[in-house]
Amino acid sequence: MIFALGAVPIVLLLLGFPIFLVLLAAVTVALVLFMHIPLAALHQNLFGAIDAFALLAVPYFIYAGELMGRGSVARRIVDVVRTGIGPVPGSLGVTAVGTSAIFGAISGASAATVATVGKIMLPAMRRSNYPETFSAGLITAVGAIDIIIPPSIPMIVYGVAAQESVPRLYAAGILPGLLIAGLLAIYVVWYAKRNDIESGESFRLDSFLRAAWRGVWALGAPVIILGGIYGGVFSPTEAAGVACVYAAFVTRYVYRELTWRDIVDAAGNTALFTGQVLLIVACANVFAWLLTVNQFPAAIVAWIETLNVSAWQLLAAINVLLLAVGCFLDPLSAILLLSPLLVPVVKSVGIDGIHFGIVVTVNLAIGLFHPPFGINIFVAQSALGLKLEVIYRGIIPFVLIYLVALVLITYIPEISLASMRLLLRG
Amino acid sequence: MIEAAFDRLMRWIEQVLALAFIAAVGLNFANVVDRYVLGSSILGADEVQIYIMVWMTFLGAVIVAWRDQHLRMDVIAKRLPARFRAWLRASETLLLALLAGVVLVQSSRYAWEMLALGETSSVAGIPMWFPHSAVAVGFGLITVIALWRGVRMARRAEADR
Repeated sequence: MIFALGAVPIVLLLLGFPIFLVLLAAVTVALVLFMHIPLAALHQNLFGAIDAFALLAVPYFIYAGELMGRGSVARRIVDVVRTGIGPVPGSLGVTAVGTSAIFGAISGASAATVATVGKIMLPAMRRSNYPETFSAGLITAVGAIDIIIPPSIPMIVYGVAAQESVPRLYAAGILPGLLIAGLLAIYVVWYAKRNDIESGESFRLDSFLRAAWRGVWALGAPVIILGGIYGGVFSPTEAAGVACVYAAFVTRYVYRELTWRDIVDAAGNTALFTGQVLLIVACANVFAWLLTVNQFPAAIVAWIETLNVSAWQLLAAINVLLLAVGCFLDPLSAILLLSPLLVPVVKSVGIDGIHFGIVVTVNLAIGLFHPPFGINIFVAQSALGLKLEVIYRGIIPFVLIYLVALVLITYIPEISLASMRLLLRG
Repeated sequence: MIEAAFDRLMRWIEQVLALAFIAAVGLNFANVVDRYVLGSSILGADEVQIYIMVWMTFLGAVIVAWRDQHLRMDVIAKRLPARFRAWLRASETLLLALLAGVVLVQSSRYAWEMLALGETSSVAGIPMWFPHSAVAVGFGLITVIALWRGVRMARRAEADR
């Protein structure tokens, strides 16, 4: 059985086979050669995985982000942040951080943020004489905040895989996301001061109010999504659906930037994303079911107990594992493959499942831009025309900042749990 | 000609899925509005949205398979010699045809049983063979794509020889 559920997927994964096929091969070999369970179980688990209301939030949030990303929403948010922060050293860099954080509260798709925010901020930073390595590193790194600040697609998938509440995960992601944004902004200000880089325009209330008025519809999306969920108006899935209607209305009728054709095209793109990701969710569900019925998680828990490791040692080891995995696998696949094994283990040493969900998300967010293979590095290379060696050189300080945040988030659970308790009152 | 026919079919499926998805979004919104304005809810709205997502998943996967966009970790495979990569590609196509074929058979049987039993969903009363057949249709089309790719590879290898 270890051959079917361990060796087969690892070998096929390394050989570059599609992830859904890797999982399907492993479960079929296990079912046919080792378990002698009727293959009807294959269909039942494939279908059962997708037959879940909570998962509907995934295509809905992707669609809302796709619609908002096509028009001038990012440009309007940039203007609000830029005019709002005033004469701060490195104001353009701080604007990139702030815009990504706000954009993250709309979309939750990290690569799109790197491309959208980068296209606006990179030329402005070049004009203001920011070193290219610094700009490239910052823009490639800030996009990762998107999957930590709610709404976050990886958190929905973790919630389904680990059977944890998505609203709780979302609430728990707010402070860690803001912590990372804050640390990045502090570094940008320190760097700009040290290198005598621009300090932005002085704050003018009329400019800020004008930008805020132009961006009020764009800024309304996070208010509707998060306010709706924590005001008890909608479930996360309903909030995601309402965000789609809001995004279509704003981009079609308020900003008049999208045609009906664009709206249908965006829905087509969302269908393809759904086919890519939820097929892996379906196959991973069969894989997780087989791990459970063969008592793999229980065996690992028993083994960990014999090692007598403390919670902090276990979390340190898991962080190293997730950082390594995150360099090669996308966050959703990594969550689906590892959650069935890791969640029972961490719970056995008393770690909160919600806190662990945030730790997993932050680790995999770092994997999105960690050299050499982080996907956002290649997004920045192709969408912004940046050279790989420039990104690699510029990204290192930002990786270190995220690692500092990861240590804080891992070992101070209150950073995650405080906002959850505040928003959900317990 | 066959390639063009596949391309047309994929574009058509994409359009149908896009419109179905927009309908699901509309249904979700109507349900929320209904709850707060009329104090009622649309019975079975959740089931309809979920089954649209089921079809999007398995038919969307067909388009992704045709366009070769399935997620994979290919950083190591990309660095292998060209001959080995071609061999891997052939193995992947064969494995895909085989496994998608297995799922096709199992899912068709299951959907057929649902039809024979006359099972319907608990609230909307949707015949359950319909959402279950999404798995069979999706993996059936993926099987056809894999077989076609296999034929194409075999012809190319023959021509090279």
